[in-house]
Amino acid sequence: MANEHRKEDAAAAGRIAGPAPLPIVLRVNGETRELMVEPRTTLAEALRGPLGLTGTKIACNHGVCSACTVWLDDLAVASCSVLAIEVGERRITTIEGLAGQDRLHPVQAAFIDYDAVQCGFCTPGLVMSCAALLARNPRPDRKEIETAISGHLCRCGTYPHVVQAMLALGTREEPDLE
Amino acid sequence: MNDEFPRRREHFPVGLAHLGLETVEREIPADEPPALGPNAGLRQIGKNAPRWDARAKVTGAARYTVDVSLPGMLHAAVLRSPWPHARLRSIDLSRAAAAPGVHAALTVAEPPVSGKPIVLRYVGQPVAAVAAETPALAQAALQLIDVRYEPLPFVTDPDRAKQADAPAVYRKPELDKVPSAGLPASAAVYPLSGNVLGPESRNSRGDVATGFAEAAVVVDGTYRTQVQTHCCMEPHAIVASWHEDGLDVWMSTQFTAGVRVQLARHFGLPLSRVRVQVQAMGGGFGSKSQMGVYGRTAVSLSRLAGAPVRLVYRRDEEHMDSGNRPSSEQHLRIGARSDGTLTAISLHSHGSAGIAFGAAPGGIASALYPCPNMESLHYDVFTNAGPSCAMRGPGNTQGAFALEQSIDELAEKLALDPIVLRDRIDPSPVHREERRMGAERIGWSQRRAPASDPGPLKRGVGMAQSLWPANVQINTACEVRLWRDGSVEVLSSVQDIGTGVGTVLAQVVAEELGLEPAAIRVRIGDTEFPSGPPSYGSRTTASITPPARTAAWRVKEAFFRTIASAWQVDAHTLIVQDGSIQVRNDPQRRISWQEAAAALRTDRISATAGRADDYAGFRYRSGDAAMALNDLGGAQFAEVEVDTESGVIRVLRVVAVHDCGRPINPRQIESQVQGGVLMGISYALMEERILDSHTGWMLNPNFVDYKVLGPQDAPEIDVVLLENYQGFSASDAYGISEPANIATAAAIANAVYNAIGVRIRSLPMTPAAVLQALGLVPGGRH
Amino acid sequence: MEPFAWQPAASPSEAASIATHTTAEAMLTLTGRPDTQQAMLIKAGGVDLLDLMKEGLVNPGRLIDISRLPDLDGISGEPDGGVRIGALATLARIAAHPALQQSHAALSQAAALAASPQIRNRATLGGNLLQRPRCWYFRSAAHHCLRKGGAHCFAFPGDNRYHAVFANQGCAIVHASTPATALAAYRAEVELADSAGHRRRVPLADFFVLPQADMHRENTLARGELLTAVWLPPQKPDCRAQYLQIGERAAFDWPLAAVAAVLDMDGTGHCRQASIVLGAAAPVPWRARQAEALLAGARIDSATAAAAGEAALAGATPLSQNAYKLPLLAALVRRAVLSAAAIDTVLPANPGAP
Ligand SMILES: Cc1cc2nc3c(=O)[nH]c(=O)nc-3n(C[C@H](O)[C@H](O)[C@H](O)COP(=O)(O)OP(=O)(O)OC[C@H]3O[C@@H](n4cnc5c(N)ncnc54)[C@H](O)[C@@H]3O)c2cc1C
Ligand code: SF4
Repeated sequence: MANEHRKEDAAAAGRIAGPAPLPIVLRVNGETRELMVEPRTTLAEALRGPLGLTGTKIACNHGVCSACTVWLDDLAVASCSVLAIEVGERRITTIEGLAGQDRLHPVQAAFIDYDAVQCGFCTPGLVMSCAALLARNPRPDRKEIETAISGHLCRCGTYPHVVQAMLALGTREEPDLE
Repeated sequence: MNDEFPRRREHFPVGLAHLGLETVEREIPADEPPALGPNAGLRQIGKNAPRWDARAKVTGAARYTVDVSLPGMLHAAVLRSPWPHARLRSIDLSRAAAAPGVHAALTVAEPPVSGKPIVLRYVGQPVAAVAAETPALAQAALQLIDVRYEPLPFVTDPDRAKQADAPAVYRKPELDKVPSAGLPASAAVYPLSGNVLGPESRNSRGDVATGFAEAAVVVDGTYRTQVQTHCCMEPHAIVASWHEDGLDVWMSTQFTAGVRVQLARHFGLPLSRVRVQVQAMGGGFGSKSQMGVYGRTAVSLSRLAGAPVRLVYRRDEEHMDSGNRPSSEQHLRIGARSDGTLTAISLHSHGSAGIAFGAAPGGIASALYPCPNMESLHYDVFTNAGPSCAMRGPGNTQGAFALEQSIDELAEKLALDPIVLRDRIDPSPVHREERRMGAERIGWSQRRAPASDPGPLKRGVGMAQSLWPANVQINTACEVRLWRDGSVEVLSSVQDIGTGVGTVLAQVVAEELGLEPAAIRVRIGDTEFPSGPPSYGSRTTASITPPARTAAWRVKEAFFRTIASAWQVDAHTLIVQDGSIQVRNDPQRRISWQEAAAALRTDRISATAGRADDYAGFRYRSGDAAMALNDLGGAQFAEVEVDTESGVIRVLRVVAVHDCGRPINPRQIESQVQGGVLMGISYALMEERILDSHTGWMLNPNFVDYKVLGPQDAPEIDVVLLENYQGFSASDAYGISEPANIATAAAIANAVYNAIGVRIRSLPMTPAAVLQALGLVPGGRH
Repeated sequence: MEPFAWQPAASPSEAASIATHTTAEAMLTLTGRPDTQQAMLIKAGGVDLLDLMKEGLVNPGRLIDISRLPDLDGISGEPDGGVRIGALATLARIAAHPALQQSHAALSQAAALAASPQIRNRATLGGNLLQRPRCWYFRSAAHHCLRKGGAHCFAFPGDNRYHAVFANQGCAIVHASTPATALAAYRAEVELADSAGHRRRVPLADFFVLPQADMHRENTLARGELLTAVWLPPQKPDCRAQYLQIGERAAFDWPLAAVAAVLDMDGTGHCRQASIVLGAAAPVPWRARQAEALLAGARIDSATAAAAGEAALAGATPLSQNAYKLPLLAALVRRAVLSAAAIDTVLPANPGAP
């Protein structure tokens, strides 16, 4: 009970929290999760550490590669540049929660079909950006797809297959599959 | 012929499949499987099986080294030199070691010659390390290390380093400790003058003076390439657990088996007590082949702390201290007769691998176009910069940029089409076919004279060729197991670094056993399994697929023998089809795979096979490494658009025509070729490690100012794959990664010349460089 | 990052009253000193602040989070045809705002080209205007340069390829904000509020400061002040605008050079008044006055546009490695003018534009 109280306090306007670790509540992938964080803990660190959701990757830690992309409500954000403590009541969706258990989101299935995966380290982030695009635009064209993934770096060079996979999900442009 | 090793004769298809195949008879070891027909007649090989671990990767379930977490695990942090050159006056770890949550602290830097003081030679060089209960505690403890440096004069610019009065990076007696950026070798065998080591004269032959005297035309140019960093998305990472029974390591590595050997040697452990594992691996490109300082550091910390330790580099550490592609300055002269026949090639090169050596621009200038007179002199220039290591197509990528532009220049002087000239001087029929196909796809016949477009936007088309040895790791083994329930496993320590070798293994085994690839459990990336090859040098598929097929074939033979003896037929009359085993031409005699397996005497049968020598022999062999008789090639064509007012080069289209022996999974190969091309475009247009010459610091150790190609910079890439059968091994498959990267920058440079009529001889070709080359920058041309 | 305490602000005035320093002040007086923990700093989206903190460039003791304050993120049309954009409006919302795309196209274009979709979803306009420079020496804790209170500028003797070509004496940063170039071309004003709730409006041109005036900060934001909004004056019906930038990457790259052109056209192909502002060229959005003068009253054609491009370079003082920016800026000005006047839109410039 006392804990409950403190949690609300931390989020409440005007109150000072930290720098010591404090309990917070996050709504992740449809579940309510309690965890301890310091104010300086980034969302990416909280997900990968205490929450054990290691599908979210950290590759640059400065918002430049977008490997750590998750959704806050419906918005794709770089979770390395968000503090866990500021998320509040917003819904967090990570790669683990994109599709139901043992199911694949259409973007995930298309990535498999078109081999839009090589080493795979940047892939969860790319999938999250592509799925966010698809949610607001079910038939994106090449330009829209490229813009939606413009924040991502992929050193293996999966971009062409990612675009192909996404085009295949829409119908505006026929993918040129051999 | 050696009597102890029985051999038999087999007939192999050879040639380019689309042009028609011939047959060659070869004698092969009797315990190798029969010749495999061309892909057209196969069920799994040559098909696009989905990537074996794609599902795990798209769902986030794939476990990378950075995701490995062990009970009681500590986190390491590394103290790095803030000075480009300094003597370590003193170091005291006691305060750091006593800090809250810290379990171990140690000095990482080693003296150049034992007993002498430690000298640090580049900014970012590891000095000491700590292991603590959280990453933040480890980071905080670094500040408690009392360390005193005596800064020394330094030099980071290779041009300056070449001068006689430049500060010396090394002294002669220290040379045998200089790290090698290439093959294991010692710098001490070369003369050292100031910071200039060499010359190394490889591949020289004939007499170039005579050759140039015979030449009707000579082209002469100086080409410069920059330092590129690997930028693996997964940083260098290791989790080391030193315990009573030995050492367990999870590592983001390109070579589990090799790292195990290095760890065992370094820490004085028997191989039997060292285990190295990697599940998913986030890219290496040459930078993750060794135990490395990070490996040794994490293991030492674990031993000291008595607990598992995780060490993961930050992005800035990656850029400063995890290897890079060395720079080069190549002075290339080529002489030819008026019909194009080459008479002499002279390549004088300098290159800097920082504090390492081995920056030579590869052997492509000597090997791609035969020429009787060749002189190749290379000098390494030491600078106070992080050491280079192999990077995708090491040497040849730099070399191709100079060579292929020079060949184009030569063609222009001879008034020949660049492809016509290459047809005359390149004897390889495979290359000729690659050029022909690429030319057709890109529309080469429509190619115009340089700078034909009247407006500010100018389009151009260019091409270049790549060359890479078809490497093979002899020390390669693979096991296949069949269980009593009919399930099958393939096992090897080989690691999948994103190349898809796991898929390929499943396809090869499935082909041999008449199953589907999805039915084969792939167990790799663990030294508990038979030693696999490294994932470098484009040798993985070439090394591992023959033993995989051989092992599967042997398991099948053993399995068939049990069935045949039950049925009282000759085992050689059995075939497997659609999950059933039957007597050929006798559909009555048929049993399902599972039923047959259930009758096995033991829980499983298994076979382990090693990599046999190529059936036609090797071109070269040394230790565990060998090279097949024929090289790997490829021709790449690029169409670019140059905005002559902004200097921006857009690559519009690339056609990449490649050969890799027998393609096993064309889709995955296409992925890898696209990756090689994109890395090549990135190298050509934007990447550059920038060091401040006054402080020695890297100015862009991030992804903001170190620019890596993004989705919008990627052109359409048309990948064309040849099926090139040679009858060299049980799979006849070879590699692709590096050839896909080698030609790209040169092809773009040739296309840029075709667009604007100005040759750009240095990389990267940024807007600033293009404007400069066009003479538009006040202050004049370079 | 060093540990810090966290305080969500209850109101703008509370935030203004708690904040002890501006980020620039904290970096100047406190960098590397033990009392750095005294600073209590305003955080909006946190994109720039966390970046600085991760590099150890500033270690505040407390962050005052204003990102959840209500009513600071509105984008609203004013009766006079102007637009007020709340400081907490994100770049993503600004880029996608249909009315703004109509009324102030250059701003939408600039916002859409800044950073990545992920960052635009977090980055606020206020924070964007107040972000600290990207000079790589400034961003490196190892280089204690003039702007951080050190003794010299590393860029002059060092690598200055991305630095300023105008007004670059002493310190040669370029202003980091992409939207600022467009805002300056629209002659926007910032609205500042203090802890007592007093609001003042300052023209952007006066808000940003040159190194000659103050080496240690990029704007005149005072401690205890909050940036609450940006005001865009109404546009004449015939005003046409174009923002263009060139980077080394097609997208998600700070520009090497940028320009925002706003032309008040008279319907006969002549320009009544022109506003030409260069980005990535100077420590502040750089008004190309000579180009503006040349265009005012002129008939817009390729010759006048080219002349404006040349005129825009007046007073440039390129450094050892950035003279390439001059032809780049000239070309961009010419293209932006032609494109704004709808004469020539064929030439590409924003390859990464959505
Ligand atoms: C990889 C990367 C690429 C980028 N590319 C671009 C680009 O191309 N173009 C571009 O323009 N920007 C770019 N940015 C910068 C980015 O747009 C800014 O960092 C962001 O807009 C800052 O906004 P914020 O809300 O996150 O500010 P914060 O980081 O929260 O704050 C920034 C500063 O402003 C102060 N502050 C914020 N809001 C207020 C307020 N209302 N009142 C008083 N003080 C305040 C804070 O104290 C802090 O000092 C890039 C950033 C990254 C990481
Ligand atoms: S240009 Fe300015 S910010 Fe950059 S080093 Fe010089 S003084 Fe510092």
